[in-house]
Parts: sequence; C-alpha cells; structure tokens
Amino acid sequence: MRQFLKKVAATALAIPLAIGLSTASVQADTIRIALAETPSDELAAFFVALERAKANGLDYEWTAFSDEELAIQAVLSGQMDIGFGTPYAAMQRSKAPLRIVFQLSKLKFFPVTTKKYSSLEDLNGEPILLHSRGGGTDSIANVIEDRLGIEFGERSYVPGSSNRVAALLGGRADATIIDLSNKNKLMRSEAGENFNVLEMFEVEASDEALFANLNWIQENEEDVNTFVKALVSVWQDMAEDPTIIRRETNPDGPIGQLPQEILDQLDGFYADAVEGGLYDPNGGGRKAAQADMEWYSAAGQLDGDASELNIEDFWYLAPLDAAMN
Amino acid sequence: MPDRALLLKLLSAVILFGAWEIAGHIPISYAFPTFLESMSAMFRMIADGTMIDAYAETLRPLVVGVAISAVLGIAIGLWIGLSNFFDWLFSPIFIVMQAAPLAALIPLLVLAYGIGLTSKVLVVCIMAMPVIVLNTAGAVRNTPESLKEMGRAFLASEPSIILRIIIPAASPVIFAGLRLGISAGFIGAILAELKITPTGVGDIITYSRSIADYPSMYAAIFSIILLAVLFLNLLERTETLLFKGNERGYVSD
Repeated sequence: MRQFLKKVAATALAIPLAIGLSTASVQADTIRIALAETPSDELAAFFVALERAKANGLDYEWTAFSDEELAIQAVLSGQMDIGFGTPYAAMQRSKAPLRIVFQLSKLKFFPVTTKKYSSLEDLNGEPILLHSRGGGTDSIANVIEDRLGIEFGERSYVPGSSNRVAALLGGRADATIIDLSNKNKLMRSEAGENFNVLEMFEVEASDEALFANLNWIQENEEDVNTFVKALVSVWQDMAEDPTIIRRETNPDGPIGQLPQEILDQLDGFYADAVEGGLYDPNGGGRKAAQADMEWYSAAGQLDGDASELNIEDFWYLAPLDAAMN
Repeated sequence: MPDRALLLKLLSAVILFGAWEIAGHIPISYAFPTFLESMSAMFRMIADGTMIDAYAETLRPLVVGVAISAVLGIAIGLWIGLSNFFDWLFSPIFIVMQAAPLAALIPLLVLAYGIGLTSKVLVVCIMAMPVIVLNTAGAVRNTPESLKEMGRAFLASEPSIILRIIIPAASPVIFAGLRLGISAGFIGAILAELKITPTGVGDIITYSRSIADYPSMYAAIFSIILLAVLFLNLLERTETLLFKGNERGYVSD
C-alpha cells in the first residue's frame, strides 16, 4: 500500500512537471496567435499582413478560439503570445499586464429598424435586439442612451449580426444593432426597403485589437515590430486599394481555402469596410486609445473617469510609432 | 459516529477552500479570484437580489427538466427492464442520447425548438434522462430471480411483484441513476444558459466574465455546485425515508 501511494505521489508530481517542461521547450521563435473566431472574410486582411510579416522573417502559428474571453485567458496564462479582442476590463479589474499594440477594427455598428422608427429618439422605451450582455453592441446601446438621454425598453440578446438580421426579417424584432457588412447586405437586398438605418454618431473605439503580455512584448520587441509594421503597411495599402486583400490572399492559407463565393465577395467587403471607416490606416494608436477610454468607461467596462485613465496602462505604443515613421 | 463524519466533512471543506484561497493569492491566473473574494461577491449578489432573480430564471428549465427526466425516466426504465420488446425499441435511443456530444448539437435543438424554455428543458432532459433510464432498466433486469419466484410461489399478482419485489430490489441502483442524472441535469441547465441564450445563472457567468468581474463569475459557478450538492443530499434523505434498507452511508453521512 505504501509503495503504491509513493508511486501515485511520484506520478502526480512528475506529470505537471513533464507538461511544464514540454511546453517550455515549445517556446521557440514562433509567435502563437490566439484568434477569437475561426478565419472568415473579416480576417482576410489580417492574414495578408501575417503573410507579409512572414516574408520579413516572422514565424507564426495560430489557433482559433470559440470566443474572445478564451483568447484573453490563453494570452494571460502564457499559452498564446498575441490575442484578439478588447481586454480593457481584464486589464483594469484583474490588473492583468496586457497591452494593446494595434487597433484591428473599429466598433462600426448600425442601428437598423423597421419603418416603425425613423430616429434613435423613437426607440425610447422600445425593445431592442443586441449581441450579448456586456458585449460591443450592448455598450453601443448604453452610450446611445447616455448621449441622447433615452432609455431602451427590454433588451434581448441574439449573438451574431446575421442571426439578428434573420430575426428582423422574420418579424421577431423591430430594432437591432448590426455590423457593417450585414447592414449593407440587408439594405442592398430587396427586403431593404422595409428597413431604416438610423443616423448615429461616429464611433472611433476599437472592436478588435491585438494585445499581448507586456513582458512578452518587451522580450520580443523585434518580432512585434515586424508584425505591427506588416499590419500598418497592409492597412494603408488597403485604404488606397481594397482589392489588394483578394490579390494577396495566399491560396494555400486559411482564407484561400474558404469557399469561392466568400473569396469572390472579399473585394466588395473590403471596399465597403474602407468606405465605412472600419479600419484605421494608422492602426489606431493614441487616438484610438483615447476613444477607447471614453467609450469603454461610458459603456461600463472601465471604472473611473476617462480623462484620469492613463493610456500607457492599456496600450504599448512603441511598435506602432516605429512602424509609422 | 455522526460527529466524526461531520468533522471530516468540515475538514475537507476547510482544506479545499483553503487551497482555493491560497491559489487565488499566488495567483495561479489573473482571472482566478480568492475564495473570500468569491464569497463576498456571492453574498453581495444575494443581498442585492441579482442571484435570486437569476435562480428564478435558471430553476425553471432545471426543475421542469429534472422532474420530467425523473418521472418519465424511471417509468421508461421500468418498462424497458420488464419487457424485451421495449428494450429493443427504446434502449438504443437512450444510448445514443447519452453518447451524443450535446454542446455541438445545441444549434440543431435551437433550429427545431427555438431559443425559449422548450430548448432548455430539452437540454436538461437529454443530459439527465439516459442515465436514469439505463440505470433503472439495468436494475430491474437484474432483480434476483429467486425473489420473483418466491413472489409467484406466494401467488402474488404481477403488479404486486413489481411494486413489492422488483422496485425495492432495484431501488439502490435507481437512486444511483437519479443522483447521476440529476447532477447531469444541473450541468445541462447551465450548458443551455451558456449556449442558447444567456439567462439566469448562465447570464451572470458570461456577463461577469465579459466585464472581468471574476469573483462574481466564480461565485455563480460555486452557487450552482452548492445547490446541486444540497439537492443530492435531499435526494438521499428521500431514499432512506422510502427504502429503509438502503442506508449505506455516503454523501450525506
């Protein structure tokens, strides 16, 4: 019995140690990227940037997580190096040493309603369909309430813009907030004439940003610089000519492997995105950081007054500054 | 010696919560709060009514689902155990249900039954029912033949053989199935709230996670485990009340 217990104890000690050692040895020069969703048309520009970075000597591998929170946890625990998302709440509340290095896309969402409503003020007291509690569209709804002094009625939650469009079309909702590409698809379809896109203020805050552990950024400054530089170059080229995304997409990469119909729509998607201001050719930087502070404080994800928050606690600007010069 | 049992239980709770507290202080992850933080979040949520509202929402699919699973599950299980034909007819369904990767099938349930209460109750039932049915059926089938023969020798009618011999003989395993099934039902209720639409406790978990309020998130998870444990203890009390011979001394001793 004692022998057995000893063995059990030895194995119990050895297994975590072995796992720890084997993961440590994996940490070579390859950077590990945690995507918050499976590769889709929205990530095509990102993968083009990765290809360019690879040409400049950056080795990478990516893993798609089923949601942003898991990507954040993976980066926090050090199993991934760079993640996708806007971990402001995690940075502030749990004092996680994460820093954002690049703004991938802005929170460009549009209130779309049936003909019943023609302005945001009409939505006072009316029910609205949003993505998830505490999510991006929820924060937009909070800020709309705040700025216009209205209050929405009951909020119900259906994740995914396309699902909310389906709910609108099916008559199960009269008002919702959806993303740019779904708004365009809906308004350009025949059913579009039954709906209104309500006038809304400009939003500069980030929807998706790239972030990493501060220590890791400082230890791998060169890799981060290469990566951010590639992103800036793609974002700037795209602003001039959105069709480069389709042309530069690696046919053997995760985007190149998507169905032909999706690839055919890439040009349209990026033309719309550039026109709609979804991507900042300057990678966000101080302007985006400032906008995020204001936005996420108003939306309730950050505590305290936006003007008292320190950008340096949330962003690591050096790689972006270097890339812009 | 009930005192010793109680003492041991308290001791294991202290060790577990102590380890949790220490792990939170190290911290093993920035997203892992200490035990005391989680508890204070839990009492805060109970005091301001958040938790109570959440449970009013979560208990609906849970109670309905568990009730359906228990009643229907035991009935179908008896039926399957007593008749080869129904065994052939129904067993495969429950074996498939038990093996199905439910989380992956949820979109299909939503497609068929919408995002309301029906889908959530179904998730609870799919999680809970197969274990209850299969355990009951197995137990009934394994009733000692000599006991049944004795019943027949005393000219007992078929219903009284079932009620007085088969069910009492099968009861320990039926209750084992119920315990497993009901804990699976608790998992199902939370799974449904995380995967279908976030309501009740599932909403507290996802919302606190999205605003990085990890103490509240773990408090919600802890509360559901606590509730499940309390409920299982209650079930065991019921068992010893109904079938005196079943006292074997585990969970609630």
